[in-house]
Amino acid sequence: MSPIIEVRGVTKRYGGLTAVNDVSFDVEKGEILSVIGPNGAGKSTLFKLISSFVRTSAGEVRFRGQRISDLAPHVVARRGVVRTFQETTIFRAMTVRENVIVAHHLRSKATLAGFFLGTRAARADEAAFGASADDIIGFLGLDAIRDEMASTLPQGHLRALGMAIGLATGPAVLLLDEPFAGMNHDETMRMVTLVRRLRDERGVTVLLVEHDMPAVMKISDRIVVINFGEKIAEGTPAEIQANEKVIEAYLGSEDAAIGM
Amino acid sequence: MEQILANGLYLGAQYALIALGLTLIFSLMNVLNFAHGQMYVLGGFVTYTVVGQFGLPFIVGLVASALILALVGAGVEKFLFRPVIARSKRDESTMLLAAGIAFFLDAVILLVFGEKQRGVPKIVGGVLNWDFRIIMPYDRILIGVLAIAMIAGFILFMQYSRAGRAMRALAQDRIAAQLMGVDVERYSMLGFALGAMLAGLVGGLLVTITGINLGMGGPTSIKAFMMIMIGGAGVISGAIAGGFILGMMESVGLTLLAAYGDITYLVIFASLMIFLAIRPQGLMGKPWG
Amino acid sequence: MRSILGVTAFLLAVFVAVPWLIAVSGRWDFYYTLTSVALLSIASAGVWLTFYIGRINIGQGAYALAGGYVSAVLITKAGFGFWLTLPLAGLFCAGLSVLIGLPILRLRGVYFAMVTLVLTEVMRLTALALPVTNGAKGITSIPLPGELSVFGLVLIPDFASLENPKLAFYLMAVTLMVLCYGALYRIVHSRLGHLCRSLQQNEELAASIGVNTAWLRILAYSISSFFGGIAGASFVAISQSVYPSSFQVADSVNFMLNCFLGGLGFVFGPMLGTLVLYFGWDLLFTTGRYQLLIYSSLLIVLMLVLPNGVLSLLDRKGVRR
Repeated sequence: MSPIIEVRGVTKRYGGLTAVNDVSFDVEKGEILSVIGPNGAGKSTLFKLISSFVRTSAGEVRFRGQRISDLAPHVVARRGVVRTFQETTIFRAMTVRENVIVAHHLRSKATLAGFFLGTRAARADEAAFGASADDIIGFLGLDAIRDEMASTLPQGHLRALGMAIGLATGPAVLLLDEPFAGMNHDETMRMVTLVRRLRDERGVTVLLVEHDMPAVMKISDRIVVINFGEKIAEGTPAEIQANEKVIEAYLGSEDAAIGM
Repeated sequence: MEQILANGLYLGAQYALIALGLTLIFSLMNVLNFAHGQMYVLGGFVTYTVVGQFGLPFIVGLVASALILALVGAGVEKFLFRPVIARSKRDESTMLLAAGIAFFLDAVILLVFGEKQRGVPKIVGGVLNWDFRIIMPYDRILIGVLAIAMIAGFILFMQYSRAGRAMRALAQDRIAAQLMGVDVERYSMLGFALGAMLAGLVGGLLVTITGINLGMGGPTSIKAFMMIMIGGAGVISGAIAGGFILGMMESVGLTLLAAYGDITYLVIFASLMIFLAIRPQGLMGKPWG
Repeated sequence: MRSILGVTAFLLAVFVAVPWLIAVSGRWDFYYTLTSVALLSIASAGVWLTFYIGRINIGQGAYALAGGYVSAVLITKAGFGFWLTLPLAGLFCAGLSVLIGLPILRLRGVYFAMVTLVLTEVMRLTALALPVTNGAKGITSIPLPGELSVFGLVLIPDFASLENPKLAFYLMAVTLMVLCYGALYRIVHSRLGHLCRSLQQNEELAASIGVNTAWLRILAYSISSFFGGIAGASFVAISQSVYPSSFQVADSVNFMLNCFLGGLGFVFGPMLGTLVLYFGWDLLFTTGRYQLLIYSSLLIVLMLVLPNGVLSLLDRKGVRR
């Protein structure tokens, strides 16, 4: 079976600076793949290239064999590749449930005019979205705060809400931008479990960008390591931990020791 | 051709001064000063009163315009914008406040100075005639030179004076400037006063040539907005570039498009939209979300 | 259930109670005031919708002016009936706003506001410059709206044959207002409205969940301009004339003001705001030359006291939107 995402020679230059240089790797359907690297290695840019929030300078990203790079972000989302945001990007002036419902946009069968007129299809959609939203809220354990305003939520819940929004679009591949950033050990472990369940119970392929090493080692099927914008290693957690180049890259940077 | 360029330069110098004031206020406080045109008109009327009514020398009128507008600007910042900015959550509130101030100044000008077109006698007579290639009255040349000197003075002030450097720091990053010990409130007020003063000065300069009337406020603000959109909002070099570009376009347009009626501004606006579609941040502006 | 009662009460008030009160009191001049309020509130509703997608629109005067001219030109030069020009004026403005919106809707915040403000002035200059609009002299002596009939059934009689065209105009304006606000209410409370809100709150996130943000912005802006166009066309029908100065920058600012005063989170806010501001301005008429001074002073004081709009009073009491 061919990989669900193929990253082929992707390059991004900003003026004279090359942020990502000729990176290639595959993501297989149903796996959890992490992209790691020291701070400033180009992880974030690579992430935006895959979700097409940034245009490539060279190379391409393919999803199910079709090119998705340089398309408008909403088109990529429509194809089934959906990103979450690192910062707590949510719809602040909506309740948790409204956030999740509005994110069902991609699944609507009725047209906007249909919604305006309140056609049968539109009403069916609304009912289905409500049910699905409640299901997702339950899945992520957000029942207790379902009707809270998003702007009033604490950090941990916001991250889960961001994931709920991503999940509501019905993605084939979910791109998670540093899902463990700023979390303590317990929170991280809960999130690790959650991401696994995402894959196991919802059949979502997960690609995440992260620098929390212990969590990455625990969660990933495979890992891609980049440094100075280039891929320096790829393999299972065990292979990565034994890789000379990776150890060197991480010892070169200040604090992050390779984990566990 | 030379004539068009000379007219463009002359217009551009006035426009650049107006745009500088507007962009300074915008960069310091993120406020779009709708009342900028009204401040310009007020400056014109002050010079008119001093020169035309009291019979004092032109330079006194100019200084009076500068001082009074600086005071108005400082007052508007301290008593109106500062409290509203401190408490408002959206851009609209400062915009509406600025619109209210524009209406207010219009009303004040109407009550104090009336609706009539006012002007002062020529400050110098005679016309420069360079081989019929450039024909320009000496007073226009003088006003143009004065305006360019003021632009140069403003740039030097922003570049080398302590206050100018503080304001540039403030414009770049308000919080960082605060941490560096810049007195944010004081320099916001100073910047607003300076911006208003520039508007007043242009009013004082132009009252000798085109005269001034109540209705000129709104259109002047709009021209100023166009200039800072061309050059990039909040950037000093952008305001100067925008001013000269608009002046030049107007000068060229009035000559070349005259045959098709009064469509210069239509053409300028259409080009501006195409330009903004390609470069939303303007010529010198920084890219933004 | 409560909302049905509210709507019924409102309809009874505007269609029955107001005409009855005016007939009893003999204050026929109120018809003109209320007609103006109804029409201006339609234009304001458009501005409100652009607010709803997170754009500050100070250009509605441009579309009102364009709508007015489209209707006037079609009636006087092409012999169209008013009732046909009304939707055509709206559609023309919607189409125009697509062309203008494509480049400028990418701008945000003050930048968008600035361009729209310039737009109002440019529309005035266009009206002055084009041959078809007759320059500064404008178009005058536009005939009153004629008969509207479908298959011989007269729906609306010829306004010129009516004993009381003021009442007819009032009923027309209020009907249009009810239709527009009904449409706006449906938009806001259907999926379209939720998507607009998502755009207002975070455009990047909206794109990431598959919303075609550029298209949605254009859609909302063109509906907004449609409202502006029909309001302008109706106004011109009442005054039977249109000039380049019929809608100016100050009008565009006032439309924004109406929305802000009435509240940006509340569909009927612009209607309320228009009513209050228009009557306020009218009451100040007795102060003669101090009218603008008092009006602008009140405005400034209002901004000082309530920088977040009148509805922020509700927030303070802990009431959620």
